[in-house]
Amino acid sequence: MSNLKKKINNMNLVRFRFWFQIVAFLLIVYGGYIGFDLGDKLPTFACVYNGDFTGGKCYLGMLQHDLNHHWETFLGFAGYAFLISLGMFMVWFWLLNKAWCGFVCPLGTMQDWITAFRKKLKIRFSQYDWSSRAKIKSIKWILLILLLIIPVMISNSIFGLPTLPNGLSMPFCDICPGRMLIPAFTGNFSQFYIDFSSKTEIVMTTLGMIIVGLFLVGSFIKKRFFCYFCPMAALQYTFSKPALLKLYKDGSKCTKCGDCYRACDMDILEIADDVTSKNLVTEDCTLCLKCVAACPEEGCLEANFAGKTIFESTKEGFIIRMAMDKKGELSEQH
Amino acid sequence: MSSIERTIETPKDKQNRHKAMEAIKVIKSIKDDFKSPIESMNYFYDLFERVYCKNEPLHEGKTKVGTMCIQIPSEIIYALDGVPIRLCNGFYTDDEIGSDLLPQKACPLVKATVGHFASNNFTDKPDIVFSPTTCDQKTKAGAIIKNFGYKVIDVDFPRTKDSEGSREYWRKSIKQFAVELSKFKNKKLTKSNLEVSIKKIGYAQSLYHKLSEYRKEENVPILGLDMFLITNAFFFDKIDSWIDAMEVLLKEMRTRVDEKINVAGKMSPRIVFTGSPPIFPNYKIPLIIEQSDALIVADETCSSNRMFNDMVAVDEWNLYDMIDSISDKYLKACTCPIFTTNEDRIRRIIDLVKNYKADAVIYQAFAGCTVYEMEQRSVLEAMEKAGIAILYIESDYSPSQQGQLSTRIEAFMESLKSRKRKKK
Repeated sequence: MSNLKKKINNMNLVRFRFWFQIVAFLLIVYGGYIGFDLGDKLPTFACVYNGDFTGGKCYLGMLQHDLNHHWETFLGFAGYAFLISLGMFMVWFWLLNKAWCGFVCPLGTMQDWITAFRKKLKIRFSQYDWSSRAKIKSIKWILLILLLIIPVMISNSIFGLPTLPNGLSMPFCDICPGRMLIPAFTGNFSQFYIDFSSKTEIVMTTLGMIIVGLFLVGSFIKKRFFCYFCPMAALQYTFSKPALLKLYKDGSKCTKCGDCYRACDMDILEIADDVTSKNLVTEDCTLCLKCVAACPEEGCLEANFAGKTIFESTKEGFIIRMAMDKKGELSEQH
Repeated sequence: MSSIERTIETPKDKQNRHKAMEAIKVIKSIKDDFKSPIESMNYFYDLFERVYCKNEPLHEGKTKVGTMCIQIPSEIIYALDGVPIRLCNGFYTDDEIGSDLLPQKACPLVKATVGHFASNNFTDKPDIVFSPTTCDQKTKAGAIIKNFGYKVIDVDFPRTKDSEGSREYWRKSIKQFAVELSKFKNKKLTKSNLEVSIKKIGYAQSLYHKLSEYRKEENVPILGLDMFLITNAFFFDKIDSWIDAMEVLLKEMRTRVDEKINVAGKMSPRIVFTGSPPIFPNYKIPLIIEQSDALIVADETCSSNRMFNDMVAVDEWNLYDMIDSISDKYLKACTCPIFTTNEDRIRRIIDLVKNYKADAVIYQAFAGCTVYEMEQRSVLEAMEKAGIAILYIESDYSPSQQGQLSTRIEAFMESLKSRKRKKK
């Protein structure tokens, strides 16, 4: 048992995550081919536009659909349907917490591939300065509120405002890069279009095209560029507290060296500087566990599943991962 | 008629003779005054004797890069094919020379370092010196040394470490340092040479960590004094020889632990040492501590633990990320008292006490080392709050006041022992 524990703590997390993400990507994007289907309430971007090939469907699509009802129906059966869906979503989410983002999400995986490509080219990543970083935090919440409100406003008039056109029934899907990129992996490029049928469609589909471009360019420059704005992350965070998988920190062991912060793709400052909180799953955390792998302090950071430590930072693990466990030779060039 | 040739001793010879006397006295004490000596420690005893008594140069033909503080990254120096030599000095002989050049109340470490430069008497003379602007006295010392005619380059160091600004500022300083050294050496810093040297130093650090693990045992196989020698040797030794010696030492430690060899007694108080750095041969306080039947099991000082504790952690092994990681290592985790607030240092001491099952903390401050003197109160308060016994000692490099110091330390140890007995 302790041997297994040591093996896990010494593992090469980068490699493990790389392969885990590939398997998850294959199941989510191509799962339909083998009849694999996790349902339509997944807390990750398994795209509904991927048709029969998808191994499950994203809950954000379902959510927008569930909210597009008249008040009267919503207070009746539609309301029940909404609650059941939400409940299912929460059950899925509580299983992995935000590791859905760091290990499963196909959009996240694609961004990590783009990052790997950039690394190969030896091009430096960029970072937001701290004040901008704090400001953009709110964008995902605004997107979440919009995607909740717009469908409601299609069927209902709020404050006497006119109802919105039907073309906005899936406002977030219109602008989500997943709608175009994920089906493309199954050879379906039909989502790359601008719809001229109405003004709303023109605006929304154009926005969608622009955002795909931003997604590809942005994630080349900034690690996990899109995740900073992801409304799914905001929705998830609302329910994150009772989840089973957790990222815990023992602040008394922390030297604030900042290794974890530098490893973090989401530039989460708290991971290094907060020495009082135990639960470090913050709103932008993707539970990728890179911080745990980068931490040199014994048991300072740990991934915990239902009260059991499954992976924790150790000095030995750190030294092995940094390849400092062997005596290398200094180059003797004069 | 006798044919004895008589020569007049030059000031340099006199300085060397005095320093050799200081050095050999300490080496002898460590070697002979304690039970169960470690065989593989002989490498280190010999090393100090060779360098400080026989004035044997270690790095002939190499570019020697002098560093005035812990913050100058050895990783970059090795990558550029230089040898880092830490010039923080512990000799009373040099302290006296420096006293003529600096204010009376200046820190003995700075006085000794300046005195060493003033005498221009080096076995491994630095070809270039980098002086980080850490404490006031070190900062000014750099300029004084420059006036002696040495090539000294200041490296800007911030006095806070939590802000974004200080992090960026220090990263720029390190880049500038790398550029300066690269120009001086006429060699390019590359991904491959930097990666190799980061891993090399990381390996050396990992050996220190392994050795430290043994100090957590109930029967501690190694003296704190030996540890100080080992870590001080890293100031100037050839890194490969140091690594080899450590590998041998670790093997011996393994067998000593299996045989339950204890260098102290069962009831000997276990001490965490913090404050102004003990630098060879100024082991005055550690010597008194360990001669008073106590054992230093861990330390929080820049001449020892702080040099080894934090390793460079790189996420993307390209030049840009390696340099930033190196910069962060020397700033973010640093518990030097020159920073405005220092909660990190307090947390670190408490963590060491817990992990190494220590009974008390001894806090040394050199008279004139203002920052350690000023931080004393906050550390004492924090220890009191955590229920950890602590003794604050002001000391300097002079061989006097030995009696008074040992009385205080012995009394402290007695109180710790009686507390220990009561617990049992």
